[in-house]
Amino acid sequence: MSKIKSRWGIDRNLLLLLGPALVLVVALFVWPLLYGIGVSLTPGPGREGLLSNYAAFLGDARERASIWNTLWIAIPVTIANVLVAVPIAYRMRRPLKGQRPISAIFVVPMTLGVVLVAEGMLTFFGPAGWFNKVLLTLGVVNEPLQLVHNYVGVLISLFIAEFPVVFLILLGYASGIDPNLERAGRMLGAGAWQRFSRIMLPLMMPGVAIAAALSFVATFAVFPSAVLVGEPAGATRVIALAAWQAAYERFDFGEASAIAITMAVIELVCVAAILLGRSRLYRGPSGGGKG
Amino acid sequence: MVERTEEAQRRSAAERPEPHIRRIWVKNLSKRFGDLVALTDFELEVEGGEFISLLGPSGCGKTTALNCFSGLLEPDAGDIELDGESILSVPPERRRFGMVFQNYALFPHLSIARNVSFGLEMEGVEKSEIRKRVQEVLSLVHLEEHRDKYPAQLSGGQQQRVALARAVVTRPRVILMDEPLSNLDAKLRLEMRTEIRRLHQALGLTTIYVTHDQEEALSLSDRVVLMRAGTIQQVGPPKEVYAEPASAYAANFLGYRNLLPVKLTAAEGERATVVTQGGVELSGTLRDRLSPGDDAVAAIRPEDVSVLPADRKEQGAFSGTVELAEFLGRDSELSVPAELGESVIVRTTGDWKVGSKVSLQLPPERLFVFAREG
Repeated sequence: MSKIKSRWGIDRNLLLLLGPALVLVVALFVWPLLYGIGVSLTPGPGREGLLSNYAAFLGDARERASIWNTLWIAIPVTIANVLVAVPIAYRMRRPLKGQRPISAIFVVPMTLGVVLVAEGMLTFFGPAGWFNKVLLTLGVVNEPLQLVHNYVGVLISLFIAEFPVVFLILLGYASGIDPNLERAGRMLGAGAWQRFSRIMLPLMMPGVAIAAALSFVATFAVFPSAVLVGEPAGATRVIALAAWQAAYERFDFGEASAIAITMAVIELVCVAAILLGRSRLYRGPSGGGKG
Repeated sequence: MVERTEEAQRRSAAERPEPHIRRIWVKNLSKRFGDLVALTDFELEVEGGEFISLLGPSGCGKTTALNCFSGLLEPDAGDIELDGESILSVPPERRRFGMVFQNYALFPHLSIARNVSFGLEMEGVEKSEIRKRVQEVLSLVHLEEHRDKYPAQLSGGQQQRVALARAVVTRPRVILMDEPLSNLDAKLRLEMRTEIRRLHQALGLTTIYVTHDQEEALSLSDRVVLMRAGTIQQVGPPKEVYAEPASAYAANFLGYRNLLPVKLTAAEGERATVVTQGGVELSGTLRDRLSPGDDAVAAIRPEDVSVLPADRKEQGAFSGTVELAEFLGRDSELSVPAELGESVIVRTTGDWKVGSKVSLQLPPERLFVFAREG
């Protein structure tokens, strides 16, 4: 039986096995993407030129501001998530007493969904909520802090929603590092901070990059919390909201698609930058040798 | 068995540097993990410049002892004095002890040179001095050309050399090694054994070495500490421990593979007469305080048993048939069920086929009679 080999020396019939997956990817991802690009390049009513939809979006200062609004939310939330999750994951790298309940508390928000978290926040952080009541009673503040229906509200809500993913990824990295490496560092005279900064953190950095990329993408696409606990007419008029308004308030699908494609390009650029940085890091095994 | 070349090498190094310490005194160290007693009243004095092995099977407490010396583990009781001062309250990072781990524990994200310089950087040694010392120690372990590589790019043996270099470059007061050779193949293990002894010698180190391999312990050490269930069974120079095991347990661990259950029938000074379970009488040398009628163990090494053709049977010899023959290169090992009622393992240069009828002789001065334990 003669087998037809492809250029890579693989039996060509095997390539047929790729079929079902390819169909799925093309139908659910490639086709809608190309369709969206097509729509974005089709001039809307009263416009001319291939890029007129993009010009309409980027040429309007208020519309353009939605990009900065989104970055101004996504970047701080991502940084805050990483900064909080790294020390906690490091601390929990070895099983502690009460490991399970602690992990559960950190991870539960992931199962709740943004809307439920937003609902809870409105009650808890609202002007008459527990949080402000406690602060007022303790005399920390004289009048209730405005923590919802503004920029801060969106930050808090996204921080809560994205923290579990970031934490779990980093916990995986931290607990996968050979404990003998820290012992070796200790025997060589490294104090607690040096062991963290010289050994553990560098070995956790690839995980930090992945977690940051995922958190960034998720927060960049923020929509529900920007509306529910934010200030959708002002500071938290994010890019997804701009696209939604173009599509379903003005029925300008051309501009809506142009906004969506712009959003995807920005995300791609940011993720590529993060992954490029990651590729410069050490990414090998995090064990200390054989065994 | 024991590498004679290493023995010779040890004697030849007359121009050894002064050791960095005079003495460690470990006093009554005890440690338990929950209900498990890992170490009981461990007592040991180590002279500066000595090479000491802690030898024993897994779970005997040797690694626990080592971790207490390093400070990575806190003992429940006892003290460790270094040159007259207790170091128990000194944390590992300030004890200035070097450690070599079983899995090397090299920092995978740092180059070989940076791995080696790590300890010096922690000490705040000047950059030019660091470069000089890293260069020196890398050439000592023959790894100069690998200085910019990463650990994953090196073989197991090379990684172990890096681990040694990293541990000795800071001139530690004591160097602790936790089964450093057990991940290497047989040939490399021999090579690295020589290397370890050479470094110990050349740098004037004080070394405490944990192993379960009697050959490693005997060939490397100035003194061997044989451990069992958290206690010390016997301490002594390799030759003494090898020739005169203190108990049936020590004998078993040091290559006395024939341990025959016997009953003592007569004792006169060192001379003992025992009877095997097969009802055969044997003469041996008494090593424990026993009286006639006591249960005992008769121990003899395979190489101390002599084998003769069955027709040349002499007085006090036993007949048997070769059941298994294992060729070992220079000699062979035979398993011979004899009249004794037990199989005897014999090491011989003679060429014996399976099924041959032979006669075995157990020299009384080589047959040790110990108390039976447990």
